[in-house]
Amino acid sequence: MSGQTTRLATAEPRWLRAVLMVVGLGFLFFFLALPLVAVFVEAFQGGMSAYVEALRHPETLSAIGLTVFIAVFVLPFNIAVGVAAAWAIAKFDFRGKSLLITLIDLPFAVSPVVVGLVFLLIFGAQGLFGPWLAAHDVKIVFALPGMIIVTLFITFPFVARELIPLMQAQGKDEEEAAISLGASAWQMFFRVTLPNIKWGLLYGVILANARAMGEFGAVSVVSGHIRGETNTLPLHVEILYNEYNAVGAFASASVLALLALVTLVAKTVVEWQMRRETVMLDTPLAPENVGQPSGTQP
Amino acid sequence: MKNKHVLPGFGLALGITLVYLSLLVLLPLSGLAFKASSLSAGELWNVATSERALASYRVTFGASLLAAGINAVFGLIVAWVLVRYPFPGKRLVDSLVDLPFALPTAVAGITLATLYAGNGWLGRFLEPLGLKVAFTPLGIVVALTFIGLPFVVRTLQPVIEDIEPEIEEAAASLGASRLQTFLRVLLPGVFPALLTGFTLAFSRAIGEYGSVIFIAGNMPLISEITPLLIISKLEQYDVIGATALALVMLVISFVMLLAVNALQWWSANRHHGREKVSL
Amino acid sequence: MSIEICGVGKRFGNFVALDNINLSIPTGELVALLGPSGCGKTTLLRIIAGMETPDGGHVKFAGEEATHLHARERNVGFVFQHYALFRHMSVFENVAFGLRVKPRGERPAENEIRRRVIDLLKLVQLDWLADRYPSQLSGGQRQRIALARALAVEPKVLLLDEPFGALDTKVRKELRRWLRRLHDEVHISSVFVTHDQEEALEVADRVVVMNHGRIEQIGTPDEVYSNPASPFVYQFLGNVNVFHSRVHGQWADVGGGENEEKASDTPDATPSGQAEKKGEALAFVRPHDIDIERSPVAGSIEATVQDVHAIGPIVRVELAHASELIEVEITRERAAGLNLVRGLAVWLKPRQVKVFNVAASQLEEGGSGI
Repeated sequence: MSGQTTRLATAEPRWLRAVLMVVGLGFLFFFLALPLVAVFVEAFQGGMSAYVEALRHPETLSAIGLTVFIAVFVLPFNIAVGVAAAWAIAKFDFRGKSLLITLIDLPFAVSPVVVGLVFLLIFGAQGLFGPWLAAHDVKIVFALPGMIIVTLFITFPFVARELIPLMQAQGKDEEEAAISLGASAWQMFFRVTLPNIKWGLLYGVILANARAMGEFGAVSVVSGHIRGETNTLPLHVEILYNEYNAVGAFASASVLALLALVTLVAKTVVEWQMRRETVMLDTPLAPENVGQPSGTQP
Repeated sequence: MKNKHVLPGFGLALGITLVYLSLLVLLPLSGLAFKASSLSAGELWNVATSERALASYRVTFGASLLAAGINAVFGLIVAWVLVRYPFPGKRLVDSLVDLPFALPTAVAGITLATLYAGNGWLGRFLEPLGLKVAFTPLGIVVALTFIGLPFVVRTLQPVIEDIEPEIEEAAASLGASRLQTFLRVLLPGVFPALLTGFTLAFSRAIGEYGSVIFIAGNMPLISEITPLLIISKLEQYDVIGATALALVMLVISFVMLLAVNALQWWSANRHHGREKVSL
Repeated sequence: MSIEICGVGKRFGNFVALDNINLSIPTGELVALLGPSGCGKTTLLRIIAGMETPDGGHVKFAGEEATHLHARERNVGFVFQHYALFRHMSVFENVAFGLRVKPRGERPAENEIRRRVIDLLKLVQLDWLADRYPSQLSGGQRQRIALARALAVEPKVLLLDEPFGALDTKVRKELRRWLRRLHDEVHISSVFVTHDQEEALEVADRVVVMNHGRIEQIGTPDEVYSNPASPFVYQFLGNVNVFHSRVHGQWADVGGGENEEKASDTPDATPSGQAEKKGEALAFVRPHDIDIERSPVAGSIEATVQDVHAIGPIVRVELAHASELIEVEITRERAAGLNLVRGLAVWLKPRQVKVFNVAASQLEEGGSGI
């Protein structure tokens, strides 16, 4: 911040700063902090035992299990394709590159409900492949495969979006150096590229995971809401809430809120790590000290 | 030509990306258009412009626009406070801004509905004032404001951080008041980012479903958003109706995506131009 | 190992980066590719390294075709302009990288790797930094680590892209002497790219001057400086005065007909093209190749002193002759003897003049002539 003498030039008057801080922080309090607190307060409305009871309900446990399973299943695809897309886009020049970047963003722009409907139209009973799937007794919609497919769709952009700017900023020099020193493609990737992008990759995975576990609209359309079978935790929250089981709904919601908090902490830690590494690269250089080649010394 | 790139894996990486993108995103989305093409244009038009559909567009767009506007104003203040003013617990507050990205929409929905209900923490103070939020269109605005906030703040923060203090000092030394400096020097600089953040928040709000349905009340013609209308059509096995509305939403998504791209291109070019001048 | 480049060309879209380059680099030489930015020197270096593929032509290593050999198989040490050190590896691991990625059969044992890395770090005088990370080093140290890393795989050729470009002047000077001595010690064919004429002239055995994707001249530092093959080379290597002159037959008028220089050494005046020898020509004279006299002598031209600047050991005098401005550099002692003041009329006598006809003298933008 600027010092006392330049305060008038580059800062607001004291009263205005106070007003802006009250308005800004007040807004955050009412819109973000209060809802977060409310989740936990509502969850414990019926006391600790009711909370534990709600969480230990078999349907809740099965919803947690399904949510975790879908996320664990989906993330490897996100990582592999995200890294591949970022590699092609960040390190090479080709025609249609900016179109490809735009298309990667497409899943963010489409409403989750539309995403669910799209897959219903393809794999549903009246859909394009519906009759064929029914004849071969393959269930995709209103079953786990459909839920996995929409989650793949929804989470596709996260990893690539984090990695593309990072890898573009890092340039190609280190990889080219590795190749010129004789490294094979995989040696270059695992020894040079991956260590350089690990934090960015983790960041993308954290965001994709939060979305995969929390997705509601798209999964809701293709799940069929079969209790104990195709119910993820967010869908379970909805069911309990609509049944006026507030404690049950908020107990499940508190698990998801906890997930959100873990996500925020992990995100902050990773951001901090990334910032630290960039700062390290910009640190003032040590004083120069050029010696003589050893051979010229007596 | 052989050996065109020194770095390996271009073909493989691009191939994987294109195949995955095509199979998962492009083909399914064109499947929607294909499905719609099997319906007559008249049929689609009738559904897409029915009274209930038109009312749902009004609710969706009106609430989204209002929410994005609220976010633009308060998001600018929040971003400004977070970048410029030191206060204890700033890092915590800064992390909290991402909560709407991290918190599942269903959780946000039931929580906001509970908070703003007549007997809720906030509802019990607002309703005596005549402000009914839960189960009204106002509730939709509240939910959409919640989910849109980080888009504005996170787009603005880096731009505000990059403002060189010299620019403000120069304006002040030329005799500008703080307000003049803000309006004539700072605001034009952050305006493209503000507009980008606004557009991102708006486009996210249009498609939002999970956080809205719990607090909206979902009264047809009054507080029913388009995504919910699609769901209720589906529940009545009205695939044609759902498809027609989904097509409208999809076209809007494309337009918003292009708008965001154009805005980002614009603000990047302005930025680039500035850098060139400063060289 | 010798390097031969035959008829190499490279375009990027409509931009011709390299146009029919022919160059041969004998074993053990230290060669500088010198030219302004955009002249194609870095592209040529990257083609030798296998980082770019030429559109046409051949690259041969020790007489063997290498044009389509992958960068990995060329056994070339490449030092990047911005060093490209692996930022997450220690200095030791950076230098060891080339040895560790060798196929299992060729990979040295761990203690052998250790010994070789330490030897190399000693060679570049930085063995005490083995455990540091690149971000903790100064620019000059990073440069030397990059060099040690490139040498670790015992390359047959060492290629350096603007090796001192990112360093400040003092470190630059020390490092280039150091590179010269290092080259004399390890003695492998080395090619480095630079836009700094002083650097090229001081360090290299031979200098390849490039412009607009072509080679303008190849020669020893002394040859390219004292006997430039083209107006571009003349202007790129040091300051120069340019005089418009007329050529008639074997002679050129310089500075208004009082001074006649033999024009037979004009490279562009073909023996048969008699007509070309008559007409406009440009004469090039370096500022330090002009004597100032207080009285007229044979072949001198009259000029008026405009300004006198003492710059370290030399004195730079700006003079006007008709409408042309002439720059002359003389020693301090000589300047003291002449007692030059503004407005004084003096006589200039060029010691060495080079004449090019106008067609060949299309002046390059950014040239340092008057």
